[in-house]
Amino acid sequence: MSVIEVRELTKVFKIPKKEIGLTGAIKALFMPKYEQKTAVDRVNFQIDEGEVVGYIGVNGAGKSTTIKMLTGILVPTSGHARVLGRDPHKERVANAREIGVVFGQRTQLWWDLAFIESLNLVARIYQVPETRYKKLLDQFAEMLELKELFHVPIRNMSLGQKMRAELAATLIHEPRVVYLDEPTIGLDLIVKERIREFIKEQNQTKSTTVVLTTHDLGDIEELCKRVIIIDAGRLIYDGPIETIKQQFGKYREITFETIHSSERVTLPSGAETTHVEPRRLTVRFDRTLTTASQVAAALMNQIEVKDFSLSEPDLASIIKQIYNGALNREAA
Amino acid sequence: MTRYLSLYGYFLIQRFKILMEYRLNFFIGSASTAILQAASLATIWVVMRQIPSLNGWNFYEVILIYGLLTMGESITHMFADNLWTIGWNYIRSGDFDRFLVRPIDPLFHLLADRFCHDGIGNFVTGALLIGVSMYSLHVALTPLRAIYILVAVISGGIIFIALNLITATSAFWLTESIPVTQVVFNMNEFAKYPLNIYHNAIRILLTWLIPYGFVSFYPASYLLGRDAGPVVWLSPVVATVFILIAYRVWLFGLRHYSGTGS
Ligand SMILES: Nc1ncnc2c1ncn2[C@@H]1O[C@H](COP(=O)(O)OP(=O)(O)O)[C@@H](O)[C@H]1O
Ligand SMILES: [Mg+2]
Repeated sequence: MSVIEVRELTKVFKIPKKEIGLTGAIKALFMPKYEQKTAVDRVNFQIDEGEVVGYIGVNGAGKSTTIKMLTGILVPTSGHARVLGRDPHKERVANAREIGVVFGQRTQLWWDLAFIESLNLVARIYQVPETRYKKLLDQFAEMLELKELFHVPIRNMSLGQKMRAELAATLIHEPRVVYLDEPTIGLDLIVKERIREFIKEQNQTKSTTVVLTTHDLGDIEELCKRVIIIDAGRLIYDGPIETIKQQFGKYREITFETIHSSERVTLPSGAETTHVEPRRLTVRFDRTLTTASQVAAALMNQIEVKDFSLSEPDLASIIKQIYNGALNREAA
Repeated sequence: MTRYLSLYGYFLIQRFKILMEYRLNFFIGSASTAILQAASLATIWVVMRQIPSLNGWNFYEVILIYGLLTMGESITHMFADNLWTIGWNYIRSGDFDRFLVRPIDPLFHLLADRFCHDGIGNFVTGALLIGVSMYSLHVALTPLRAIYILVAVISGGIIFIALNLITATSAFWLTESIPVTQVVFNMNEFAKYPLNIYHNAIRILLTWLIPYGFVSFYPASYLLGRDAGPVVWLSPVVATVFILIAYRVWLFGLRHYSGTGS
């Protein structure tokens, strides 16, 4: 069953143009000029019940704006959105009962209240039945290790603790659709791992539909079978993560710091230099054709290397390549 | 309705738990409003010593006006203080969005989010002043007068809330609404004195446009048996009309917000 349906969804912001000087300010007051900013541009997709979809794109791509339209916070400029068959804005309250939202970096809990009191309050707002609430509380406490946090006010929590608390509060009414807008930003690996496990578990046991935005490829790889990529408001990819991984996951990059500025170097097949600076050299290689040690060995035979580091291509560079049509070209 | 009432009660309990945690703050907050009250009262006292009668109103009569106004104001202070800070605390930070993803009315959520205990001091002060005034003037507290005062105070509170709600809505355009709210709110200073001492224009302004007169002067006129015409019965009507208008204005602001975001 299709849970989220988005057709030609568009959001254009009108930003008042700032004018300089007093006359400018007066002019702006009586004849305000606006700049149009298309944050989401005729986007189409459909998400089925129980899917976990990565909604990715660089900063300012339009991810949060899309989520705000799906949660009923913002009204689309044109096009339409349906969540569980409802218009999220027109039927905001009915929609709100069925969804949960995390905006990373913000909290929906009360700053000064002990966490457990915040949770109680949230449960009341959503009218979670008492016995159900008790049961979920126990489960969540165990999975997210919340017991020792119950009496801590949010203001005294670390980032990771806050996010665990936030997730519990977002899922305590067992929403059918969950939007997670950068839930792992700034968290350390252990917390990230715990949060991913929790999301996975909720999805598997309750068929919760999850839309996840993140800059962390790890989140995507562990949770999502499908990704939707947007860039400058336009949908540029919608499909399995596997395809992307096959195309780009096979690449690794090694950056070498060299003693002398490097001349031309010969590399094993499957490897190429992508970036040359004085005393710094970046090599990209295809893991299916060669290995890091072969590349490093080949290079060290030719030039003196002070240091080197291995990295996976980051999301931004993948998106850029997809945008440049790399995916189509390579798939063809 | 009952759901909202019980929810409000629950919000209130949580709020007091926080306040008890910051006991010192609680007392400072209550004390500071009391000190401000004292200063305000001292001003009236000084004024009334110079001119023992303000257009026919003596000190204790003015105190009745002042007491009614204080009680009305204390109601906004307690139940709707977040209208002052909506721009800074909720819209600018994006926290307002959390009200919109919850299955309750966002205005209710905003108001319930922070009961402001500072108003309690004013509520008590206002009640005491009304008592002192009526006692000194030998105005007996008959059941009819008691009901009248109750209705007048609630209406007064609603009038204050309505005006603050209208001005707070500007936060959806300006982000910061405090300056706008301040301008309208400060007009209540005029309503600390009998309206008949002012120029007609100000009287009309405070009766029909920014109707603080219905919080203090008109109810006081009734209680003191002064002839002010049928307006003395209009406080609940004016309160109802203004709160309905204010809610419309608020909904209009909300619609604007859903178009523009923070
Ligand atoms: N309330 C707003 N008013 C005007 N412009 C906005 C508003 N919210 C977002 N934008 C603009 O829309 C674009 C998309 O923003 P956003 O959806 O937050 O991107 P993302 O979440 O992908 O980083 C950005 O250029 C941003 O500056
Ligand atoms: Mg964002």
